Amino acid sequence: MTKKRSIFTQEVIVGIVLVALYLIFRLISPDFGKYTTFLSMMDISYYYALMAIGVAFPLITGGVDLSIGTGMICYALAGGCLIRFYNCPTGLAILVSILFGVGIGLANGVLISLMGLPPFLATLCTCMITRGLGSVVTGSFAIPWPTAKQDNGWFHSIFKITTADNLKLPLGLLWIILLTLIMQFVLAHTRFGRYTISIGSNKEAAILSGINVKFYHVMVYMVSGLFAGLASIAYAAVIKTVQPGTGAGMELDAIGGAIVGGVSASGGYGTIYGTVIGAYVIIFLKQGLPYIGFNANMQQIITGFVLIGAVTIDIIKRKVIK
Amino acid sequence: MGEIILTMKDIDKSFPGVHALDHVDFELRRGEVHALMGENGAGKSTLMKVLTGIYTKDSGTITYEGETVEFHNTHDAQAAGIVIVHQELNMIGDLTVAQNIFIGREFKKGLMIDDRKMIRESKKLFDELHIDIDPRAKMSDLTVGKQQMCEIAKAISHQAKIIIFDEPSAALTEKEIEDLFAIIRDLRKQNLGIIYISHRMDEIKVITDRVTVMRDGAYIGTLITSECTKEDIINMMVGRVIYENPKTHSMVPEDAPVVLKVEHLNAGKSVQDVSFELRKGEILGFSGLMGAGRTETARALFGADPKQSGDIYVNGEKVTINSPEDAVRHGIGYLSEDRKRFGVVVQKTITENSTLATLEKYMAGMFINKAAEKAVAEKYIAELDTKTPGADQLVVNLSGGNQQKIVIAKWLVRNCDILIFDEPTRGIDVGAKNEIYKLMNLLASEGKSIIMISSEMTEILRMSDRIVVMCEGKKTGEIPIEEATQEAIMDKATRDIK
Amino acid sequence: MEKLKQNPIVKKLGFNRIILFCILLLMYGVFSAVIPGFAGSARIMSILNYAYFLGFLALGVTFVIATGGIDFSIGPVMFCCALMAGYTLNTYGAPVIVTLLMSIAIGFAFGCFNGYLVAYVGVPPFIVSMATMNIAKGLGSVFTKTQSVSWPQANDPSGIGWFRNLVKVGDIPTGLIIFAIAAVALYIVMNNTRAGRYILCLGSNKEAVRLSGVNVRKWQMLAFVICGTMAGIAAIFFVSAYTTVQPGLGDTYNNEAIASCVMGGTSMAGGLASIGGTVIGVMVISLLQEGIMALRMTKEVQMIITGLIVIVFVYADVSARRRRN
Repeated sequence: MTKKRSIFTQEVIVGIVLVALYLIFRLISPDFGKYTTFLSMMDISYYYALMAIGVAFPLITGGVDLSIGTGMICYALAGGCLIRFYNCPTGLAILVSILFGVGIGLANGVLISLMGLPPFLATLCTCMITRGLGSVVTGSFAIPWPTAKQDNGWFHSIFKITTADNLKLPLGLLWIILLTLIMQFVLAHTRFGRYTISIGSNKEAAILSGINVKFYHVMVYMVSGLFAGLASIAYAAVIKTVQPGTGAGMELDAIGGAIVGGVSASGGYGTIYGTVIGAYVIIFLKQGLPYIGFNANMQQIITGFVLIGAVTIDIIKRKVIK
Repeated sequence: MGEIILTMKDIDKSFPGVHALDHVDFELRRGEVHALMGENGAGKSTLMKVLTGIYTKDSGTITYEGETVEFHNTHDAQAAGIVIVHQELNMIGDLTVAQNIFIGREFKKGLMIDDRKMIRESKKLFDELHIDIDPRAKMSDLTVGKQQMCEIAKAISHQAKIIIFDEPSAALTEKEIEDLFAIIRDLRKQNLGIIYISHRMDEIKVITDRVTVMRDGAYIGTLITSECTKEDIINMMVGRVIYENPKTHSMVPEDAPVVLKVEHLNAGKSVQDVSFELRKGEILGFSGLMGAGRTETARALFGADPKQSGDIYVNGEKVTINSPEDAVRHGIGYLSEDRKRFGVVVQKTITENSTLATLEKYMAGMFINKAAEKAVAEKYIAELDTKTPGADQLVVNLSGGNQQKIVIAKWLVRNCDILIFDEPTRGIDVGAKNEIYKLMNLLASEGKSIIMISSEMTEILRMSDRIVVMCEGKKTGEIPIEEATQEAIMDKATRDIK
Repeated sequence: MEKLKQNPIVKKLGFNRIILFCILLLMYGVFSAVIPGFAGSARIMSILNYAYFLGFLALGVTFVIATGGIDFSIGPVMFCCALMAGYTLNTYGAPVIVTLLMSIAIGFAFGCFNGYLVAYVGVPPFIVSMATMNIAKGLGSVFTKTQSVSWPQANDPSGIGWFRNLVKVGDIPTGLIIFAIAAVALYIVMNNTRAGRYILCLGSNKEAVRLSGVNVRKWQMLAFVICGTMAGIAAIFFVSAYTTVQPGLGDTYNNEAIASCVMGGTSMAGGLASIGGTVIGVMVISLLQEGIMALRMTKEVQMIITGLIVIVFVYADVSARRRRN
């Protein structure tokens, strides 16, 4: 009796779009095909992909986390400060950055789950607060993280390694794939993941089934914060100097990626691999458009329309099913 | 039938203003299917809610498996083996069948949920029940019938000893009902006690062993199903009470023109090919049991929900009604059964609510003429005798009856000629009820035409000039008031035995 | 206390608004006492400059919040208007009046776009806001080729600086007069016209309003149109006071506008809005901004404070609502 599901799920279609985009950009612009272009594109993609993986969880519960962009900068600034001004070992600084992210996630979770604030509003506030905190912590100065050549700059090799014959490899891509698989597993095969979907699909039924919804709802935002924390490391490894006051708007690209990748804006459905593919579509647009003669800022406009288009398709799909 | 598993004795429960359960007795044996019948509001659901711990009883005792018990919530009841299969399903549509059945108590293998085991266990459950459902299917892809089967499987997986079915067949097809009955027979064989709440007389005859009838929150009696007739049960349901002032003859003149004609209205499953006429000055009663499709008919007619087909004529002219806006333009007003959600804006004042449908008439140029607006609100406060300190009062502060008057005022201000009253006195106390009745009669005598949907037999017999009876989305009868009796209406409102 | 709340005059003005107004005065007093030279007309002019554009933004978004929606694209939309109009003025030499109208028209267009998507397509407002925020920033950057735009000074020899008279003529704060007129006009729209009545009612119970035969989609869209148009007007006051606009910015002002609304007693759940409260809220935020600047703290400190303010006021509203039910 169950309906046969088409193999052309949104994830697959978006995957095809991603490949098509790449091929189109390559065809039009020979520069786009260069290995260095690919490398720099990958560099930038890591923190977007990480944010997208994290924010997929609140989105699947029917909420949203707007604090990840400014949050990421704030955590990177905090970690960078520790290294620069307090001679903190890099490992510890990285840990602090990540924990900072988890902490802000916890705050979001408490505001939303326990205090009942609307998710977009609560995270809009933490977005402001993290943006401000970043500047306050650093006294509004830009903070450089150690460079790859410095002794304490080893964390760069997490994302990019240079082989003996001076070939650079985008190691970060491996981590992204690995984390995608892990988080997809978490979403599909653990209680946490299952209850995340349940909250987004039918919160009342989840409560009636005896699930501690409040607890898991907080956890969802902590995961989002955790990944914003991880993203801050990827950001510091790529953007050598972290500027306070930036980061606003980055969350939109990550959220847009998730929604393009098939996460339902009204909650209840989504996959992590779809999210990451969607995030890469956005990154390709962002990075590729200048190569084919567009103004780099066109990308922002296009992302906006892509986001609305993806949600509208989702809305229409739901109406048709009804 | 085995030994007694459950005895409810002298159960009493009151809500403010309502004596919901009046010393009710109920008994259930192992291996028995026991029907619980009664009109809407007879107290069946309340009794079951007391049993499963959703409500706390005021007095009385519940004896379950030889021990006196008191459940404080559904979890307690569930843990003890009493499970209810709800009318509205409590399913998470985006999860699979197996995931739903075991939600909140997933099998684990390390950190991971053991989905394979859950699927295996679900399969086992389904095999026992002879149900053919793929445990891997997504819940929202299943038909309502299949979803219900999953609910039953979930109930059984809780090691249930008593399963309560609350109108299980309401949304099922014939085939699905047969499957359901096969399952219920199976469960009976396994010595479970089954409580079956339904309005469908034929089902009661086919599937149940005994019938307990309730009326007005009181226990009326218990019959052995095979030894009684449909008439026996109906007689117990409606009782022999003489109702106050039933209408004896229609108040509508012979030559009153038809103001509203509905032909072949179709809207989903709950409105199938409904046709009727409404005449000037008439109160047309819509009777039927819960889920008969009366409200759905009204909403489709009013344009609140989409309809598939059907022609509507107002004063002989064919009209298109695709939205409430269209309906209101053609002089139709709708008073919803759920006032707080669909009738009034409770956080706004009486004045604001009174002119909500007519604001364009109370404008002075671009601005709202607040004096005129207030004047008209006050006029109707006086006319309808609404109890309120003033027109500036927020509607949320009014009682149910007075809120209803505000909704009536809203449509009177609009000067609607056709009014649809959906359960006009639900949740309203007796005194206010009489006022609403008086008002409806007055409106009819002034030439307004009224469609009154009501689940209360007294109300139908007291108010209507003519009665349309619906059952499962279809119009099953039309009875002039002169020929109307409770038995005749109930006969049409319940499905016949095939 | 209870007795005071029941006083008809207090009731009319709103107890919470009176408290907020007292807080405003108190803040001014504290700032004046702590910071040397804070009291004085120069500071007040500076506060007002900030209050004008923020006020228009906040007044506009009050209508959207009244419907139960949200629009946090208004800051970037305002910048987009200012950038596109300013670029047209500087590059193509269009008459000032045309560019001012253009600014309003762009805001209006954004409002229509947002409103249509929310009311007719059914896209959640926060998603629309996110998308529009991106589009507005991108459009501003693309149009100006990522250059910042400076509007002419008041003493511009060609005389095109006249629009600055909208803010002040000599020492007279004309902006205050215009803003006051606008606030009164919007107060009337909110409380004395069909638009306002339907917007408030549908924010409270959309289905009941629809079943009363009202075209709720139209009025819901209108709220967004008002909001967008106000952002266009806010752009004019922004450039009149601050001259230079940079592409890619503007999102801090969303939050301040929303904070002004919730402080003033407009409920995020919809149905309850106070134009007067929003105006006081705007003054509080503007004073705060000036005070923080005077204390030589950064804009970022203000952001943290604004964020906390919103959390506190929304939580108060949420819990008050819970208690009532």
